[in-house]
Amino acid sequence: MAAQTEPADPAANIDRALEGLRAGFAARFGAAPTEQALRDENAKILGKKGELTAILKELKDAPPDQRKKIGERVNALKQEVEAGFESCLRDLRKKARAAELDAPPFDLTLPERLPLADGGHRHPISRVREDVVNVFRQLGFAVFDGPEVEHEENNFGLLGYPPDHPATDMQDTFWTKGEAGKKLLLRSHTSNVQIRAMKAVKPPMAFIAPGTVYRRDDDATHSPMFHQIEAFLVDRNVTLAHLKGVLAEFAERIYGPGTPVRLRPSYFPFVEPGAEVDIGCVFCKKADGTRAGCSLCKHTGWIEILGCGMIHPVVFENCGIDPEEWSGFALGMGLERIAILRYGIPNIKLLFENDPRFLAQF
Amino acid sequence: MKASYRWLRELVPSLEASPADVAARLTHAGLEVEGTSEYGAGTESCLVVRVSGVRPHPTKSGLRLVTVDRGAAAAQEVVCGAPNVPEPGGLVVLAPLGAYLPAKDLTIAPRAIAGVTSEGMLCSESELGLSDESGGIIVLPPGTAEPGTPLAVAVPNARDTIYEIGLTPNRPDGLGHVGLARELAALFEIPFGMPRPKPEALAKVADVATKDLVAIAVEDAERCPHYGAAGAVDVTIGPAPLWAKYRLQALGVRSISNVVDVTNLVMLEYGHPMHAFDLDRVRPDASGSRRIVVRRAKDGESLKTLDGVDRKLVADDLLICDGAGPVALAGVMGGASSEIQDDTKRVLFECAFFEPRGVRRTARRNAMHTESSHRFERGVDPGDVAAVLDRAVALTIELAGAAATRGRVHVQPGAPAGQAEPAPTAKRALRFRGQRVREVTGVDVPFAVSAGILARLGCEIAKTEGDTCEVLVPTHRPDLGREVDLVEEVIRVHGMDSVPAELPPIRASRDVGGREELARRAKEVCAAIGLSEAITFSFTSERALEALAAPAPAVKLDNPMAEHQNVLRTTLLVGLLDAVKNARRRDERDVREFTVGPVFLAPAAAATRAEVDAVLPDERLRVAFALAGDRPAWLEKPKPLEVWDAKGYALEIARRLTGKPASVVPASRAEAPAHLHPRGAAFVEVDGQRVGAFGPLHPDAVDALELDGEVLVFEMELDPFAAGAATPKFAAIPRFPASARDVALVVKDGIPAGEVEAAVRAAAGPLAEAVRLFDRFVGGQVPAGHASLAFRVVYRSPERTLTDAEVDAAHANVVATASSKFGATLRA
Repeated sequence: MAAQTEPADPAANIDRALEGLRAGFAARFGAAPTEQALRDENAKILGKKGELTAILKELKDAPPDQRKKIGERVNALKQEVEAGFESCLRDLRKKARAAELDAPPFDLTLPERLPLADGGHRHPISRVREDVVNVFRQLGFAVFDGPEVEHEENNFGLLGYPPDHPATDMQDTFWTKGEAGKKLLLRSHTSNVQIRAMKAVKPPMAFIAPGTVYRRDDDATHSPMFHQIEAFLVDRNVTLAHLKGVLAEFAERIYGPGTPVRLRPSYFPFVEPGAEVDIGCVFCKKADGTRAGCSLCKHTGWIEILGCGMIHPVVFENCGIDPEEWSGFALGMGLERIAILRYGIPNIKLLFENDPRFLAQF
Repeated sequence: MKASYRWLRELVPSLEASPADVAARLTHAGLEVEGTSEYGAGTESCLVVRVSGVRPHPTKSGLRLVTVDRGAAAAQEVVCGAPNVPEPGGLVVLAPLGAYLPAKDLTIAPRAIAGVTSEGMLCSESELGLSDESGGIIVLPPGTAEPGTPLAVAVPNARDTIYEIGLTPNRPDGLGHVGLARELAALFEIPFGMPRPKPEALAKVADVATKDLVAIAVEDAERCPHYGAAGAVDVTIGPAPLWAKYRLQALGVRSISNVVDVTNLVMLEYGHPMHAFDLDRVRPDASGSRRIVVRRAKDGESLKTLDGVDRKLVADDLLICDGAGPVALAGVMGGASSEIQDDTKRVLFECAFFEPRGVRRTARRNAMHTESSHRFERGVDPGDVAAVLDRAVALTIELAGAAATRGRVHVQPGAPAGQAEPAPTAKRALRFRGQRVREVTGVDVPFAVSAGILARLGCEIAKTEGDTCEVLVPTHRPDLGREVDLVEEVIRVHGMDSVPAELPPIRASRDVGGREELARRAKEVCAAIGLSEAITFSFTSERALEALAAPAPAVKLDNPMAEHQNVLRTTLLVGLLDAVKNARRRDERDVREFTVGPVFLAPAAAATRAEVDAVLPDERLRVAFALAGDRPAWLEKPKPLEVWDAKGYALEIARRLTGKPASVVPASRAEAPAHLHPRGAAFVEVDGQRVGAFGPLHPDAVDALELDGEVLVFEMELDPFAAGAATPKFAAIPRFPASARDVALVVKDGIPAGEVEAAVRAAAGPLAEAVRLFDRFVGGQVPAGHASLAFRVVYRSPERTLTDAEVDAAHANVVATASSKFGATLRA
């Protein structure tokens, strides 16, 4: 039969060529030792100057009534070849991965290469944290650790947050379930440490609690994870004047000598009286100590830096401390805000991206 | 809370402080004015004018030439494109030449409009800053003012200073102008009286009693301890007058109709939300009598609220019902069925006290936050129900031509049903000791001054004995619950600026836990050896933890911000590898970063933990690093970091943190941590304890985390070293010289260099002070499959100078041992 076939029959020629390709491509792919070799082989068939492409070009010589049918067969083969290529590629990669994992081990008994002490940088939040911790340590405060995953009562209830009260709206909290389905939360402030310390230690006490806290906020000025430092002093005869004294000392040491401090009454459930603290704007301060007002202080000359107050008697009572005998103050500040102001960082997100070129600036 | 300076001055007529002074004083007293805006600032330069003629524009359709009378026989023609120019005689507002309109930052100048010059402009509300949107120019009701009157004089409420006050949640009284006015009067030490409508404002009474219109029953007195109602009949629904409209719009509330506006005005005045029912749409019950019932919902009951949402209710929700079913979610939002409509003739006003926590639960459950729920959650004044109802009725008489129905109805537990006057609300009595102000604040405020401040805030001072008294707390201050709250009021009003700054004598405490110092040391060590500190999120995904073969998460969040942040990490590497990935995406290949922080593992029993804390996850402090890219180099082409670099960083961290020798133990394939490449995984040991592991990240993890290339990682426990680094012990400095010998041994490749080194050390004997591998060479004359390892052995005795013969003998043993043990030959 073959002898009788018209050699000039383009359709038959194409058929033969397709059959030839079909019979051979799998073996050709299988023989490729490397990924590159496999790609080269694939290009020889499917590339612009490849064999299948060449066959496709002959299609124009085929009788018009057969073109569609042949075209379909060419496409079918193309798909077969592509599938074959993908499968061989997977096999090759699997083999390469196995070989890579099986390669002789590095000799880790060779001596270590000692690091060059080049370009180690502390994170801006850590720098601020250490500065603030140092100020309070020098004043006589010590650090009390507290957990980041906390009981609801240590974070809210024992601090005097009434149940179903709008005060809890001030802090949108992450919730989780502990073992045995107990309701736990990611602490929304470091004030949980007040409760832990006052339950564990008899007054007097002077503690700070630096740490990571969590709230469900995410925008240019809020991160769902951020850092606070809480400081609290419990002793006999502690007054708001003492709190102001410590704040003035803190402001002078962190923001520079002569930085003024003012208290504005405010509300936090675990203090009474409660206040927000402003310092004189550090950005528009003039040589004579006056302030011109700028966009960072909204032209008021003051910047809000923290919240504070006298520890609420109900907090003392909840921790078994007699509020008629003991008094105390508490203050808490966000470290991101201090870092952002100090280093001129435009967006809080930069603090958590850890881009090496960002970290290298501090 | 938005507040109107004009309104506050109406409520405190003797207040003379400027808007700026009022803002400063409020902020200083803890009612922080976060912003101030000028409402209707354009109205000052605009005039009320009367249209005297209208003709079409000569060339342009849609425009008209309007002649207006400016009073005093002055007239002018302006071009106007608005569709609603009134007939001659109508009053409109003209911005004359030179007028400045801040809302559009526009100064009126002569302007040719399609060939006709206009010397002025007829204004819309938005052009004057009276409203955000407007359909056409302002058309004033007839008789508003004589032509030529400035608009700000004709309608004073079109010009105001509006404060945005950031109220803390303990001050519900500040959610109404009456409360703010009372506060200002106290702050500026001027008299204040609670506003009540004058009797003549309520004189128009219809001959029907409120209690005969509707029967009111409260089934849950705990959730609704006071339900008050008043009525008005012969109501004509229509637009509110301009003063009311602009007062509401200035405060961000849309004017809807006279009666609906009454409820909003009264809420903004007293801070007490109220509700207006169309009495004829309150459905009767089966017996045909009109009823209002306050009761809890039945589980599964539903109500379509005014916002068009069908609410599924639970038994904890409090409902207002009529004879046929629920008509309002108490304190949160009304239903559509009984709202005021254009044909409403008879109105029933509700003013109630709903228990705050219950309102809050219902609002939260339904994700609703309304002006009403916001106020009820914080606690409205239970003592102002009668005043609020009277005010609403008086305003309805004034604005809607209505007549009051006779008497109010008050339903309170323990009081006769349907009484016309409310039972007085019980007031909390607190003991106040004058010296407590000094004891708490350090400021000596005389008792008389303290008592005066409390009295101005609405407290009653009774039973004064010396510097002690009993304080009856006014019903509008639910936040005053104990003596210290009174102390706060005194210092808040007296001024916190008067508090002196005094450093306290501090009796120093000691650290508890010690992790801050431990973490600080770890960070210092890492930064000192050239690593940069990353602060990474504790949140991650289960998928990322799986890719690193880390323990399954112990903490899953109920309400994560995003699915890829729904668990807490069990390895520090997740965040570091994110940093590597992000840096590489930004084409920054060199990353040498560490992080210090806790991982959150399943709760573990620990002697140091309180029993109650046993359910908390085990927060373990760790340090970790990730290395990618090139090693720092000096005057040479940079080369990629290798596993021996990771070994260097890891050992250095372990040594410096512990102050002890640390060693590396290569991990066998079987015990290599699954996240590490089996070719290069190793453990770091201190005191024979494994404290961490390092190596190249497993290629499968590289792929799964889409890291686009190799990364070297290390992670180590810190808690075992909380006690601090070991104290170094002095060793005598050698007095006698050392002799060094080098030896290059050719051994089969594959024999670990460390084994050869150990053998050399043993063979060199006690005189060998140090053995150091200083060269490894492959190729050249070294036979294939072999490597040349060159060691320097330093010999020394602490007691005498060694002779060459002694050293040579020891060193000969090195070669002999290496030869017999490893088949080593000396390198030619």
